[in-house]
Amino acid sequence: MNGFRKEFSTLTLVLIPVAIAINIAVGQVATRVTWLYLDSIGTVLVGVLVGPWAGAVTGFLANIVWTAAGLWTPAFAFAGVAAVIGALAGVFGKAGWVKEWPKAALAGLITGLVAAVVSAPIAAYVFGGVTGAGTDAVVAAFRAAGLDVLGANVAQGVASDPIDKIATYLIVWAVLKGLPERFKVRFSED
Amino acid sequence: MQGSTLYLERESGLHRLHPLTKLAFAGVFLLAAVSMPGIVSLLSVYTILLLSLGAWGKLLVPLLRNSFLVIWPFVLSLALIQGFFNPGETTLFSLGSFTFSQEGLMSGLTVAARLLLALSGTLLMMLSTRPDKLMLALRERGLPNWLGYIVLTALQIFPRFQDRARVILDAQKSRGLEIEVNMVRRLRLLVPLIAPLVLSSIVDVEERAMALEARAFNYPAPKSSLIELHDNAVQRAMRFLLVILMLALIVFRLQEIFSV
Repeated sequence: MNGFRKEFSTLTLVLIPVAIAINIAVGQVATRVTWLYLDSIGTVLVGVLVGPWAGAVTGFLANIVWTAAGLWTPAFAFAGVAAVIGALAGVFGKAGWVKEWPKAALAGLITGLVAAVVSAPIAAYVFGGVTGAGTDAVVAAFRAAGLDVLGANVAQGVASDPIDKIATYLIVWAVLKGLPERFKVRFSED
Repeated sequence: MQGSTLYLERESGLHRLHPLTKLAFAGVFLLAAVSMPGIVSLLSVYTILLLSLGAWGKLLVPLLRNSFLVIWPFVLSLALIQGFFNPGETTLFSLGSFTFSQEGLMSGLTVAARLLLALSGTLLMMLSTRPDKLMLALRERGLPNWLGYIVLTALQIFPRFQDRARVILDAQKSRGLEIEVNMVRRLRLLVPLIAPLVLSSIVDVEERAMALEARAFNYPAPKSSLIELHDNAVQRAMRFLLVILMLALIVFRLQEIFSV
């Protein structure tokens, strides 16, 4: 728990709701410009800037807020997945992967695959294999091909989550590149 | 508090209840959604218990409207996917080599009914409970300060961010953001949208941190609140019974799982 306490300065605490608001704002814009979700930009940002614990808290609470704000009620069921995404961002951030775009893209790929695997059982067993989104057509296609409920959800996740997370990491890489160094060091625990 | 939440102010008995009582109701509906055996029991709980609470809270129309908006895509997807791909003997119709079975349809609709009950229970609580009162009630029971702060602040500020994002997006559109066909180019054009959002937020963040510290946010002594919560023995007893009910539902469900 030492890492947790170290990561939680007032500055970090104040950053997290801002990151959640960024998740929401960019997520809404993304649906109008592209088919990607791009709803974890803030989560990944906090993970990379501060650390795994802060990233996990951001992801978890972002999904709670998403439900509480009435944007998509089922969001809270995936809070754990979002926490994993945030924690991974912290790990990749500490490893320095987000400093160059090829590694950042790889970080996104790995995060996407992990997210797909972790969220598939929730979609399959809590929601009967659907999420009420357009991606259900993809799930249907996989079911038609003979996969069972869990398999079809894993397949759909693997088909769409990595692209979304690669794009997210690339955007975070680009944004951080342009950020003055003095801002970045204020947030990290060192 | 400002910001954007589902909360709707009403003069009703439901609204006057202590936030934790309403949270307990939501918990019961969530567990009932998981443990009720079939579509009849699920819809009975929904109409008899949930809708009457909604009517008591004068929230019936917003409740039905919001839950309909959330649930209809699920109903559609579940009916179609489980109807076609779940095992079943009674064929209702066929499409090419795929058969739509009654068992599949019923299975899909049952899942939809579970989701309806769970999501409506959550919605009912959010419609009738002010978030800051709920956070205060939880804080009194031991929820850490910072958790309530994060959720409440995020709820307060995100509309501003949506507005800011929309303004920047419109400016980008006039530079051809939506005309771009190439996905990679579109993503690169998103960066000048997000970067100013993040940068202005970080400056904001430093000021907020100083403001919080100036208000003794981290000082460990207990804090007095502007909001008053009203509680009484009846509600405390009610919450106790609701917790017992939740445990009973869990046991009931576990029994079902292990006796198959």
